[in-house]
Amino acid sequence: MKLQTKRTVIGLLGILFLLSLVLVQAMEVVRRRQEAGLSTAHVAIPAASKTCIECHGQAAQSPGIVDHWMGSTHAEKGIGCVQCHLAKKGDVDGFDHYGSHIATIVTPKDCSRCHDREYQEFEHSHHAKAGNILASLDNFLAEKVEGFRAEEGDHHFFNPHSPTPGRPDITEVNGMSSAFVGCQQCHGSKVALLGKDGSRITVDELQPDENGQPTNSAILDQIVKNDDGRPKFHPGSWPNTGIGRLNLDGSLGSCSACHSRHDFSPRRARQPENCGKCHLGPDHPQKEIYEESKHGVAFRDLKDHMNLDSKSWVLGKDYTQAPTCATCHMSGNSRNKGRVTHDPGERLSWTNRPPVSAVMDTDADGKLVKETDPDKRRALVAHTAEEKRSEMKQVCAHCHTPDYINAFYKQYDDFVVLYNEKFAKPGQAIMAELSKQELLTKVQFDEEIEWTWFYLWHHEGRRARHGASMMAPDYAHWHGMYEVAERFYMELIPQAREIAAHAAEEGQQEQADAVIKVIEDILARPEHDWMPKKAAGD
Amino acid sequence: MSRIADWFQERLPVSGVQLAELTNEPVPNHLRRWWWCLGGTPAYLFVVQIVTGILLAFYYQAAPETAYQSVQRITEEISFGWYLRSVHKWAATLMIAAIILHQMRVYFTAAYRKPREINWMVGMCLLLTTLVIGFTGYSLVFEQLSYWGATVAANICDTVPYVGVYAKQLLLAGETYNENTVSRFYILHAAVLPATLIMLLVIHIGILRLQGVTELHFEDEPEDGPQHFDFFPDHLYTEVIAGLVLMILLSVLATLFPATMGPQADPLTTPEIIKPEWFFYATFRWLKLFSGTVAVLSMGFIVFIMFVWPFIDAWLVRVTRNEDVSFWIGIVGVFLLVGLTTWEALVAH
Repeated sequence: MKLQTKRTVIGLLGILFLLSLVLVQAMEVVRRRQEAGLSTAHVAIPAASKTCIECHGQAAQSPGIVDHWMGSTHAEKGIGCVQCHLAKKGDVDGFDHYGSHIATIVTPKDCSRCHDREYQEFEHSHHAKAGNILASLDNFLAEKVEGFRAEEGDHHFFNPHSPTPGRPDITEVNGMSSAFVGCQQCHGSKVALLGKDGSRITVDELQPDENGQPTNSAILDQIVKNDDGRPKFHPGSWPNTGIGRLNLDGSLGSCSACHSRHDFSPRRARQPENCGKCHLGPDHPQKEIYEESKHGVAFRDLKDHMNLDSKSWVLGKDYTQAPTCATCHMSGNSRNKGRVTHDPGERLSWTNRPPVSAVMDTDADGKLVKETDPDKRRALVAHTAEEKRSEMKQVCAHCHTPDYINAFYKQYDDFVVLYNEKFAKPGQAIMAELSKQELLTKVQFDEEIEWTWFYLWHHEGRRARHGASMMAPDYAHWHGMYEVAERFYMELIPQAREIAAHAAEEGQQEQADAVIKVIEDILARPEHDWMPKKAAGD
Repeated sequence: MSRIADWFQERLPVSGVQLAELTNEPVPNHLRRWWWCLGGTPAYLFVVQIVTGILLAFYYQAAPETAYQSVQRITEEISFGWYLRSVHKWAATLMIAAIILHQMRVYFTAAYRKPREINWMVGMCLLLTTLVIGFTGYSLVFEQLSYWGATVAANICDTVPYVGVYAKQLLLAGETYNENTVSRFYILHAAVLPATLIMLLVIHIGILRLQGVTELHFEDEPEDGPQHFDFFPDHLYTEVIAGLVLMILLSVLATLFPATMGPQADPLTTPEIIKPEWFFYATFRWLKLFSGTVAVLSMGFIVFIMFVWPFIDAWLVRVTRNEDVSFWIGIVGVFLLVGLTTWEALVAH
């Protein structure tokens, strides 16, 4: 090569190298802008959703949802409106909308078209079954005690007893309001289409097949539809993003309960505030408990260093500063190869939901095994509580030594067992004896002792156990066991004795004696010996 | 200008002519061919490593509790940190590859023969020093590979009879991986070993200058034409072109395949699969093929043989009366090296 040629080559290569540095500079600027939130990643609008974006993006429509979607990973990957809202011909809630056949509600079954593993995990979870509350004590409180629902049928309206000035349209009172707005917004509603006779057409009536399409075609004519053919939802059942929603296609839950639409932000799902929509309050204040714990304190301080925007969010790899709800119960960690679970019960060794805490041995369907015979129990258990605890310990081990973790679990076990044995099982035995002796009516919450017992286990007992499970001493003690003890000694026992005394006065001496014997047997135990016998609720 | 030149001449009495004579050594014609003029590549990459290494050192914190986080900060927060770290990593890879290729070139052209035996041994020292720099380099990240790689290396040292236990202590700064290990690796990686490398390079190039480059002749070259050309500017231009191509290549590799981070070092969790960096694959596979002490001693023996190969080659040529015997042994050696490396790359354990 001639010298002049070499000089030219050097010049060209020099320019090329400088250009590569300019490219590096440009990449750095883009990175900085994205980091500072000054720019968003490239958005790919798929052709099928272009009309939706153009129309809904207008100020007169709903530009907010379009903006939210623009900031989503879906938008980056070209997953548009139609892909998620797509309905199959024959779907009960499907309707034609500007050239696409879509449905308003996107169910977990719809999400499973792309996220099948997550769907399978979620459907096995306790979260997905949260809608079972619809037949529980809590629901009885909301529907009957707080509101109104007739014993038979679906009638739940009554007349207002005086006019509401300025609102002449208020001509009836919806007795289900508390259930709709309260319980069901967390636990999930039974999604219903409006029937021509005002009835609710739900999954029970539709009887969907495995593809989510109704098999009871006779009911389809009964559905009220708009002029454009869009089926109308029963206003009590939707809007609703409760985690255990009972959907028209037979699937359970709502992914947007945690992954808020339409940006589906992983950052938000990783933060405790996301869970705090439901996990707070007097009966299960997990959010407040977490905030009191060292974990919550560290999170508040170190949140900015926790890589919350990162695509991958693996404990021990992408962050270590503090755990959030997601870290311990769902997210991947470096010890489990980053495996995320959508079953938050997968790492729980106790369930503290019932009056008496139970060991979280679950069967193949993820249901709690209640069998007490050891051999039969062993045959039923598919996933033991010990296995679940080992998975949780893997999370703990990122910051704590094995000795520390085992000692924590010893403290936790001891606390739960103390609550179970000293207050929960005795309380349950007293209430059972009162029922057995027919000294309580069949109706719940019509007697003071039923409220007392509900407060003891459902509010104070849970606070205590949750406080112990997440290292929040004030909740374990003052908001927990202290109040449990006060409720037990100063209310439950005296009220039970009073019921027995009334029964004796009314000639039911035998029944009264049976209840008093249960109480006396309990109070004769060494753990209750601190109290002079006369004072023990006498 | 003349007054300024005079001012300097008065204080630094070296003339331009003298400088030109000093540097402008005649360069053999075969170095006009691109594939034969890449001996300077490792040295060039070494300069890149020094520059990027110094910049990375501004932010790196050599302690077990801060090392991983500081590398993470460099990669994710510091301006151009990702680029510098990626260039540093890729330049290390290319530097080791370039040294291995350079050594193969020297071997297969028998450029190590008398009187260049000593320079071959200096070159071997350069290779080993570079490999140790590579090893201490990836140990600094304090990811799982760093921790367990160092632990495995220390355990390998421990299998050497008599001196192994001391070698292990020397490497880890104690019986086991401890709070001083990372800082020891850092001092070795950023000060002791680069200084050693520079010293060896000076000796290597000094000997080269004293003895001259081994001259190779190709069949298509005219016998009666000039056998040499000027270092300055002709050969220097070639080196600049090679350097610029390397810089562009590094930039491309760094932007397309930036350096990532594995999981943070966790003494409580032994990874299911432990593998060193690619340049130790052949050694690692060899060590797995035999029991501890046998593997380590045989590996040491192979390195020793490589060291003294010029003398073994002279003996082989004398005994076999075949000039090419080393060439064929070299072919077998290369197959062995590539085979063991590929084998290790393809299998999990």
